[in-house]
Amino acid sequence: MGEGAPLTTAALAHVVVSGLATGSIYALMALSLVIIYNATRTLNFAQGEMLMISTFVGWTALQLLRAPLLVALLVAVGAAALLAWVLERTIIRHAISATHFDVLIITLGLSLMLRSAAGLLWTHDEFPFPSFFGSRPLGVGAARVAPASLGIIGASLALMLALGALFRWTRLGRAMRAVAQNQRAARLMGISVERVYSASWILAAAVGAVAGVLIAPVVFLSSQMGLVAINGFTAAVLGGFGSMPGAVVGGMVLGVLENLAPLYLPASIKHSVPFLVMITILIVRPGGLFGRVATRKV
Amino acid sequence: MRAAALGSGAVVVLGWPWAAPRYFVFLASLIAINAIVAIGLNLLTGYTNQLSFGHAGFLAIGAYAAAILTIRAPLVPLPVTLLAAGLVTAAVGLALGVPCLRLEGLYLAMATLAFGFVVVEAILNLDWLTRGNDGLRVPAARIGPWALTTDTSRYYVVVTVAALLILAARNITRTRTGRALLAVRESEIAAQASGVHLAAYKTLAFVVSAFYTGVAGGLFALVVGFLSPDSFDVFLSVDFVAMIIVGGLGSILGSVMGAAVITTLNDSLAGFQSYRPLVFGAILIVSMLFMPGGIASALHKIQPRQGDRA
Repeated sequence: MGEGAPLTTAALAHVVVSGLATGSIYALMALSLVIIYNATRTLNFAQGEMLMISTFVGWTALQLLRAPLLVALLVAVGAAALLAWVLERTIIRHAISATHFDVLIITLGLSLMLRSAAGLLWTHDEFPFPSFFGSRPLGVGAARVAPASLGIIGASLALMLALGALFRWTRLGRAMRAVAQNQRAARLMGISVERVYSASWILAAAVGAVAGVLIAPVVFLSSQMGLVAINGFTAAVLGGFGSMPGAVVGGMVLGVLENLAPLYLPASIKHSVPFLVMITILIVRPGGLFGRVATRKV
Repeated sequence: MRAAALGSGAVVVLGWPWAAPRYFVFLASLIAINAIVAIGLNLLTGYTNQLSFGHAGFLAIGAYAAAILTIRAPLVPLPVTLLAAGLVTAAVGLALGVPCLRLEGLYLAMATLAFGFVVVEAILNLDWLTRGNDGLRVPAARIGPWALTTDTSRYYVVVTVAALLILAARNITRTRTGRALLAVRESEIAAQASGVHLAAYKTLAFVVSAFYTGVAGGLFALVVGFLSPDSFDVFLSVDFVAMIIVGGLGSILGSVMGAAVITTLNDSLAGFQSYRPLVFGAILIVSMLFMPGGIASALHKIQPRQGDRA
């Protein structure tokens, strides 16, 4: 221990569980980045802002219709899918033949616009967001954990399993994996690569919307909440960018690291942890924790 | 034709403080400072295809280095201060650039983005040196017996430095080095096969880019006179990227024009803060979709001239 009293096992368990909860959100974010990356070989800089907008839409449904939370979740997912479909068809598709550099800049522009639009529509204030889970701590053995943490972990794991099933057993999932492996060959096999692009954007946005609704009660709903995408990127890099199981593990590792670091390091460093992790992993092992160095074809 | 354009340009730049209101002299200084950063960034991004979202971090390092030097050692003449700011930043550029050699494309973009965040956090945490969130007031700099207390005097210093750095950049890009950098951009593997030392040139681009941005940071401290960490956030880095995108990748004249456009736009939108990112985002998307070569290549299409790269 660096400073202070030694940590009890129970307290440590609490820190690890809440780390796993934030980690699940990072993992979902990482998954949505990876889904788009695998299909289109580009990074969507606006992923976090799409999450933010769809969560706001869900919240608006709560406020206006007094709808139950589950309906808000569905509205958020629907809004995310629609937004992703429109953006992909109207803007991204035109640049898809260009370099990843161009698409990166375009999605950067999109992220600026979406955040600004959210500020104009819903102001830049923070709003409380209702949670699916109660607030009374549960006792697990000697440790006490927040039900929200367990709920977030459980819901995220369920979503990840569903995604895994989709990629493994459905026609769409197989098409997406084929495009990720070799776009030209996939096209020759009769797969509509364009449909895979659209599907990836929609799927990624939907996953993001679920992550948004899960995390909003914890971090508050605000136009800034899209910044979680940076941690999602770090998580994806930790696990080896492009690998889905890697993204999940990377998210969990990052979440736990971020929660453990302030116990052993000066507290002021907490905000820098994801960035320091990102720089370190990129420099030391750009292929991710269990990655191989990819060989480049000329 | 070119001589006439250059001559009238020089007259406008030199005569500006006598014709324009005081605020516009300050704005012109900012444009020149941003032009230096844009050129530095373009040497990195436009010439070797290494995208950086961390140049606000380099600017901050240069600005704080110059400010702290001016406060601690008031007798040091301004050119030395600026050179020191540039060299300190170049050293940081070297330290970041060498490990980043392994990264390309979006990985480098994200690593530099993280670097920018870390610099701001570092400024906040080193408050014994930087005064953290309270900000740092920079005393007027001196050149020999003269204290630079007016906007006009500072404008001339900035414009002189900018002119020198533009000339230097033209020389870099038109020589063997510039051709090597361009070869790296077109294809790293082909460049390497032709005998271009890939690591050396990529690192060189990083260091020179950081040096330019560090000098610009020193000038920023001089002109603005007050530094605080929130002036160097990630959105400033995005502004710099917007400048070279709008101006034209791989063009020095384009960098200057991009800096002028974005800086002026930023200033005119100052009263509409909430619409600013909306406009900037739209500009980025529209330039990428419809004007991929920026203003520089649009000019080329209007008036094609032979052998004009800058």
